[in-house]
Amino acid sequence: MRTKLTLTLLLVLLLSACQQESTESTQTLRHSEKKVYRHSEDDRPNSLDPIKASTVYSNLLVVNIFDTLYAYKYLERPYALKPNLAVDMPSISENGLVYTIKIKPEVRFTDHLAFTNGQGREVKAQDFVYSIMRSFDPNNGGTGAWLWQGKIVGIDDWREAGADYDALIPGLLALDDYTIQIKLTEPYPQLTYTLAMGFSAITPREVVEHLGQEFGSKPVGSGPFKLTSFNSDTAYLAKNPNFRAEPLDLAYEGYDPELHSKYGIQKLSGKAPPFIDELEVHFIKETSSRWHSFTKGNEIHYTTVPKDKQSAVILQQEPLQLHPQITDQYHYTYGLEAGFVYHGFNMQDPDFGISGDEVQNQKNHALRCAIRKAHNWSQKNRAFYFGLGQVFPGIIPPSVPEFDPAMSIDSVEVDIEAARTLLSDYGWTADNLPLFEYHVSGSVLQKQFFEQMRGFMHAIGYPANKIKYQPYPNFGQFNKAVKNRQAPFFFMGWTLDYPDAENTLQLFYGPNETPGQNNFNYHNPKFDALFEQSRILQPSTERTALYREMNQMVVDDCVVISGLSRNKIHLWHKNVITFPDREIVGGFHLRYVDIIPE
Amino acid sequence: MTQPLYITGIAQSPQSPSSRAWYRFKTDRWGMIGLFVVSIYFVLTLGVWFGLWGTNWSQTSHAFHQPASVTHWFGTNAIGQDIANRGIYATKVAFEVGLLVAICATLLGTLTGSLAGFKHNTWIDSVILWVMGVLDSIPFYLFVAAIAYAMSEWIFAMHLAMILVFWTETARIVRAEVMRLKHMEFVESAQALGQRQALILFKHIIPNTNHLLIIQATITFVAAIKTEVILSFLGLGVKEGISWGLMIAESTNDIQAGYFNNFLVASGLLFILVIAFNFFADALQDALDPKLQH
Repeated sequence: MRTKLTLTLLLVLLLSACQQESTESTQTLRHSEKKVYRHSEDDRPNSLDPIKASTVYSNLLVVNIFDTLYAYKYLERPYALKPNLAVDMPSISENGLVYTIKIKPEVRFTDHLAFTNGQGREVKAQDFVYSIMRSFDPNNGGTGAWLWQGKIVGIDDWREAGADYDALIPGLLALDDYTIQIKLTEPYPQLTYTLAMGFSAITPREVVEHLGQEFGSKPVGSGPFKLTSFNSDTAYLAKNPNFRAEPLDLAYEGYDPELHSKYGIQKLSGKAPPFIDELEVHFIKETSSRWHSFTKGNEIHYTTVPKDKQSAVILQQEPLQLHPQITDQYHYTYGLEAGFVYHGFNMQDPDFGISGDEVQNQKNHALRCAIRKAHNWSQKNRAFYFGLGQVFPGIIPPSVPEFDPAMSIDSVEVDIEAARTLLSDYGWTADNLPLFEYHVSGSVLQKQFFEQMRGFMHAIGYPANKIKYQPYPNFGQFNKAVKNRQAPFFFMGWTLDYPDAENTLQLFYGPNETPGQNNFNYHNPKFDALFEQSRILQPSTERTALYREMNQMVVDDCVVISGLSRNKIHLWHKNVITFPDREIVGGFHLRYVDIIPE
Repeated sequence: MTQPLYITGIAQSPQSPSSRAWYRFKTDRWGMIGLFVVSIYFVLTLGVWFGLWGTNWSQTSHAFHQPASVTHWFGTNAIGQDIANRGIYATKVAFEVGLLVAICATLLGTLTGSLAGFKHNTWIDSVILWVMGVLDSIPFYLFVAAIAYAMSEWIFAMHLAMILVFWTETARIVRAEVMRLKHMEFVESAQALGQRQALILFKHIIPNTNHLLIIQATITFVAAIKTEVILSFLGLGVKEGISWGLMIAESTNDIQAGYFNNFLVASGLLFILVIAFNFFADALQDALDPKLQH
């Protein structure tokens, strides 16, 4: 009897173990059925608070966790705006000073303890007003206020008066729960673009006040995804189950069968994003680690091609063709960045810039122009960008509609003889040439940039002992030196915030001098007058002509050695449906990612 | 008539300590090979100093990542610079760092160590021992890197950092030797004759530590070169010019792309010099050891 009982008990235990295993198998199966997309970036965000979304890495996550009023169409190029949380494009008064924007009803924030009953409440127009106010609160350390500073009626006074969130700003009002009104001090055609940036993303006041500084690492919004955890290596996000159902209209988003059908995007037509259950964004700075993670399997689904892997990936440059072993396994796309790299002079520097002495000014102008003529963009492109970058003259890059393909390329052509002649004509000799300090954020790569620049300058007779490498331990300190006008010459990059050349021209506008965006401290009254004239104009041939005139002024004054737009190759696994783009669009494309079940 | 070998050896055996040391050194085959290789490096360094070779180390060209050829013995790097020229020029940088650090650290170590040994069991000895203890208790690379980083604006920051670390070892050795020597008869004789203490220390005691100083200087020299390479690799070393450490740092990108010349040349030159110097230092130690001389 006892033996039978024991056997029965053992049988029950065995069966229950089987049951347990069966349950686990089901769970595993369920887990594997989850669509998890693993994205990668080459650096990490400093904060996920929208008012601090000053890097592409922050912006990428912010526009997925929060809602912005506007977004960019998924596939259309050149970039085009579309309503996001807004019902429609803004209604603009005839004088261009009053914008009225309706927002969609029944959009809810994701759940958080700070809300009543812990359930996310509806997003209201007042939330947008609050979110913009936060950028102007000096206690918050926001970095995006420059977008609206001096442009929205009363917002600067509000800050001066102590940033009281319950006070009204006449130029920034919630007319009712679903209507926003923005009044401008002068026409600002780029305003709508700013409403698609992470800086303008909409945050719930009660959660911000509840979390304080922690909001930057535990953000809560109404975007397509909600953050589940975030550390220095990875951000884990889950689909927002309550995200508004808006079926994907491919024609509206700019779908072109020739360009996009090979990626399987047409399969998503009519479905409401987000299509994946979980989104992981891995921050992998080390290129070889990122590459191995990508090629290993499904550790990450997407990467850009690192410089040191380009020779292994690219079969032919023009037209670009990748190795068959790459194209067999992965989808790819490539395109010019919305930005450029350049070398700049500090025009307030007595040795290279402008001073009170007119004769010296002319000598310095000749010196700057000679250095520019010595600079070999072609060699730099081949050495550091695998020859894939696009060299262009001036400061209006090819990624904006105002780019002038007919502009003279003299300013980006190397001409050693002309440079030497220019130096000798203006009395420059090896003895009287000033010390040339090359300020840069220190790294092996930047040292190589310096060494190449030194090689270019040797060619025009600049003595080696007068060319000095001035590295900084990190970009922050380098940037600080530039802002403090300690760097007579610097190498930097600029990524456009919106597809309008105004965004690069403002880098040379006198009143924007450092610590503002004008790192060159360039002051040209004619340029400033044209900038003020053009910035209130809507896109037009007249405005484009003004832009190009300003562009030519900067070239003629030899303020900058510019420029080169880098060409990036994006690779992703073939079981992923996506069309990645980390430029102006930021991270809006992530909501349209889908995974094909294996 | 052929004479027995040992008789020849005895007949020609030198009598002065230095001659005996040199004789012993010559019989060490590996030591001689080491000396020969170090001499080649030294000649290379002198040539760079006098501008005979390695002058085009910074020159860039269109020819990126070229393989080894008659024009470029070890090919070119990512910006078209000749790797052989850079490797040779970096030898000068290595010797400069090694010599400067070895001389300064040995001098500092000798002064402090001999003073501590001579004033054994006094407050001077205690203070010097305490300072050495404090410095030695800090992890080596952390300390050097911290100083090099804190004073990164100064061109000799790395040198100073290494001197501050390396002198303590010399000082300990010298202190122990001085403590032994000061009880010897020749010192007691000098004291009995009423010579000043400083004179006794500098004229009679320190010269008798020379054999240790030479050996310690060679060890410091090699350690300084290795440390310079590591610091330069980390971006805390050589700012102007080129060093093997910087070349190895550059090569981290090259290797990913399948180009190994930069790495092989820099690490090869370093490896050969370090090995050769170790052979040389070992042989020198044997040759100068008074116990073995007798």
